[in-house]
Amino acid sequence: MNDALARYLASRLEANDVRVTSLLRIPGGASRETWMFDAEWTAPSGERQTAAFVLRKDPPASLLDTDRETEYAFYSAFWGSEVPVPRMRWLENDASILGGPFFIMDRILGCESATAKIIAPPYTAVHPQLAENMYRILGAIATFEWRGTPIERVAEPPTPETAWQRELDHWERILDTEAMEPQPVMKAAIRWLRANPPPPAQRISVVHGDYRVGNFLYREDGNIYGIVDWEMAHLGDPLEDLAWSFNQSWHWAKDGRPGGIVDRATAIAHWERYSGLRADPGALYWWEVFSHVKCQGIWVTGARSFQENRTNELILPLVAYSLINAQDQYLLRTMGRIP
Amino acid sequence: MNPSAPRVLQGLAANLLSEVMPNISTPFGQQLVGIAAMLEMMIAEEFDRAADRLVTENRAVRELLAEGSTLLGEQCPPSVALAVKSPPAQSLRIPDLQRENDLLRAALIDLHAAVEQTPGEAARAFEERIWAELIESTRRRQFASRL
Repeated sequence: MNDALARYLASRLEANDVRVTSLLRIPGGASRETWMFDAEWTAPSGERQTAAFVLRKDPPASLLDTDRETEYAFYSAFWGSEVPVPRMRWLENDASILGGPFFIMDRILGCESATAKIIAPPYTAVHPQLAENMYRILGAIATFEWRGTPIERVAEPPTPETAWQRELDHWERILDTEAMEPQPVMKAAIRWLRANPPPPAQRISVVHGDYRVGNFLYREDGNIYGIVDWEMAHLGDPLEDLAWSFNQSWHWAKDGRPGGIVDRATAIAHWERYSGLRADPGALYWWEVFSHVKCQGIWVTGARSFQENRTNELILPLVAYSLINAQDQYLLRTMGRIP
Repeated sequence: MNPSAPRVLQGLAANLLSEVMPNISTPFGQQLVGIAAMLEMMIAEEFDRAADRLVTENRAVRELLAEGSTLLGEQCPPSVALAVKSPPAQSLRIPDLQRENDLLRAALIDLHAAVEQTPGEAARAFEERIWAELIESTRRRQFASRL
């Protein structure tokens, strides 16, 4: 892949003698393969230049089947805003170059993203700052003016009244088509969700779609330097992201705290303060129940991909074995059916 | 007797973690070895219990469907009656037991939805019994070795 990447960069940078080094696949990235690499080239001016990049490449099959152009557009829209994101460089739909479509972005250096590290020293000392920054940035996403940005070209806005229904229809369809066995717990929740819709969205906002500890880059100073993994980004009810961040699948410290870094009340207070929006308890509960349905839709999609031999990515059966039943239990807990 | 499949899988996992992983140089490779070891531990657990879990659950769901069919009478979804009348799995092989389980649990979804729409205390009490079975079904599937 080094040589193919070097040839691609040479054409994009209009540069000679491009060298690609330190090409490494990054752990995680169950939806797209994520690679990091360094590049060195001679610019037309004759100056030798270097840069650190991240490449996101579509795998043969994954946990999700999402549009890379949409993800690229959301990243691009936030570049230079108060929502920190890596700078996008190139989007390439020609699968023949690297064996799948891909895009390349600048690599933000000196950061961590691992969920196992954030719940241990030295990061535990800056949990209050990390949590405030996490929900401050989520507030900025919720109030971001997306009209007039690349987002407008790739994302269809729902009405405030239909935001919930569009998401629920989408994820129920995925659950129905992808699950390899009946889902009686999830289907009971879906019936409840349809019978008890939330109030209209306060505004139609950008929804990151996977906003949680694990999808941002942080340092020991308690600051957040990049929000990543925008593959499920869309327009909708901003409460969707807040509720998603509370899902038990991301309670990394297994202590009941979202992300293992903050208690729920503090997170809500930060989000309300920075967004100027209200987290209506009933609406937030609806979106929390929904978040379990969406999680399950993701897990069963990966399980089927593996079962049908579309991929040998071992993360997919691991997620299936460890999370599909657990997600049912998390949902039962949210609905007050188990302690 | 040969060492049991669960024991062999546990041994494989232990070797991957203690002997192989420390010699892998890339984070991605280390992650892969860790995933393989974790999967082996969970599959070992599932290998041991799968047939018992499915036989137990199929019996429990079949009983619930029969009772639900009596409770709802003509209002009972056709899939419930079909499931109640369906023959049990032809063998104790997992695919046969799973096929029976899928049929019964799909009918349970229809029964649950119909019971929710049925007024009266008997329906509410039966709804709680369905929830109790759903909760129990997640306990049956829970892994001691999950993430």
